[in-house]
Amino acid sequence: MATIKVSKETRRWVLFVALVAPALFLRFITAVHPVYKTITLSFQEVNLLTRVTRTVGWRNFVELIHDPSIWEVMRFTVVLVAASVVLQLVLGMGVATLLNASFRGRHLIRSINLIPWAIPTIVAGLAFRWMLDDQYGMITDIISRLVGHRPEILIHPGSAQLAVILVNVWKNTPFMAVVLLAGLQSVPHDLYEAAKIDGSTSWQSFRYITVPVSTPLIITLSLFFLIWQLANFDLILGLTHGGPGIATTVLSYRLFQEGMLWYKWGYASALGVGLMLVVAVVGLLGLYLFRRYDVRF
Amino acid sequence: MRVSAQARKVAAWKWRSALRMYLSIILFALVVLAPFYWIVISSLTHRNELFSIPPQYFPSFTLENYVNLARQVPFFDYLRNSLAFGVGTTLLTLVVSFLAAYGFARYPVRGSNALLFLLLMSMALPEIITVVPLFETLRNLKLLNTITGLILVMSSVLVPFTVWVLVSFVKQIPVEMEEAAVIDGANFFQVIGWIVLPVMKPALATMLTINFINAWNNLIYPLVFSSSASSKTLSVAITEVFQARSPYGRPWELISALGVTMVVPVVILVLIAQRSITTGLTSGSVKS
Repeated sequence: MATIKVSKETRRWVLFVALVAPALFLRFITAVHPVYKTITLSFQEVNLLTRVTRTVGWRNFVELIHDPSIWEVMRFTVVLVAASVVLQLVLGMGVATLLNASFRGRHLIRSINLIPWAIPTIVAGLAFRWMLDDQYGMITDIISRLVGHRPEILIHPGSAQLAVILVNVWKNTPFMAVVLLAGLQSVPHDLYEAAKIDGSTSWQSFRYITVPVSTPLIITLSLFFLIWQLANFDLILGLTHGGPGIATTVLSYRLFQEGMLWYKWGYASALGVGLMLVVAVVGLLGLYLFRRYDVRF
Repeated sequence: MRVSAQARKVAAWKWRSALRMYLSIILFALVVLAPFYWIVISSLTHRNELFSIPPQYFPSFTLENYVNLARQVPFFDYLRNSLAFGVGTTLLTLVVSFLAAYGFARYPVRGSNALLFLLLMSMALPEIITVVPLFETLRNLKLLNTITGLILVMSSVLVPFTVWVLVSFVKQIPVEMEEAAVIDGANFFQVIGWIVLPVMKPALATMLTINFINAWNNLIYPLVFSSSASSKTLSVAITEVFQARSPYGRPWELISALGVTMVVPVVILVLIAQRSITTGLTSGSVKS
């Protein structure tokens, strides 16, 4: 009896390891090893011509902290992800409510809603850059017809930053809306019926039924969107190249510049470590909120 | 009399709220579709007309820009690479993720839940951080400038989410079905092939679609790991066309034409598979 039990347990282990190994192997080479490598590289200086690597201790980090432009980059990164997530939640809830209503052509509108999510970010970035072109752009033309002069949106820092935030909201709100819509559909309908009989207005139903029921979902979504948008660099590449000056440069875009355009691998890795720390802080905050609001997967 | 007045009032109120809803829907559709309208007409406009103030919203129609695009960049090479990258990534991701999901769902061992959680958490790692180390790894493996190298790194990015979604689908299959097949003498592969895969067809199709869209849209990996036409994709091509300046400024007619060709396949996928995509994107985050 005992031998059969052991062999069953062994069989389970063997099957588990065999089935999971390919996925773990892939993740090991392309996630675990790069993280380890990034941390090592951040204490080194790499000369790509001579292929000589030398250890420089904390120098990359010291340089990083004393680079005033990094703090500006950091500030816009935080503003971009925070403002985007708030706008995406508010608009996403609105779009979800709209898509939840019954009307003819609902299926088509739900498909249209998915389009911004589905298209390449680089194409969205370039399309908006062309729409915002200070001479021939469509948005520039529409605004000039409304206010009487041609705005140079991508040329001034403030309006360029606003444009990046709004285009990011355009691109990612639909995904938010789709998940929120699924959340809305999972709220039991009789809750609303009961509230209606008790005479509550639709705003009250929204405020006291929809929002509390959706809170765990909203926290999960916010966390995912914060972390995910911290990494978004395609949009910046397409829309502004980080300009004017460095007004719209975000951490991930600067990392790309340092590592892939200027070949400062050690310094770029130190930036990478910094970005990982930011992600970790957001993640830990999320885990704390998960526990507090009892979110379960 | 009073009843009919009230009925009229209710009817007017209903009519007004319906009107408001339809106006919101139209506004929403306009905002979502405006960029497509703009690049589609830009791609169909003669370049002389394109750079005019005010812009022409209903210009003359020409396919010249598409012809020029195919002439000026190795368009069909890039298209082939994008397709190979997309299809290869999708298939590798699906096979690897399905096996892992089946392992996690059916043969849980001590610590496997923690492992699944770690795998999921690894999704938080920004791809941009991995490019410098991966550049070296791929160079050592002689996989720079190859589609194979791109498929390997991109599949790895998509595996955690795919495993997560598929685990919940495997768990929904009654285990008795598989046990019955084993009693009837089916081996491991027969159980998978006869029972599990057929039941999971919709879930697998969903993840195929979502992963293909993700790989098709990916820019960072082909941009960093490809320096020759042998593995550059359309997403890289559009950044290169953008860099090409002419006395007129940026070649927006070519950028638009390339943008349209990149967008059309995914829009078709979305129109065909909207419901299935929605299921995939929301499963895991929403418990029904």
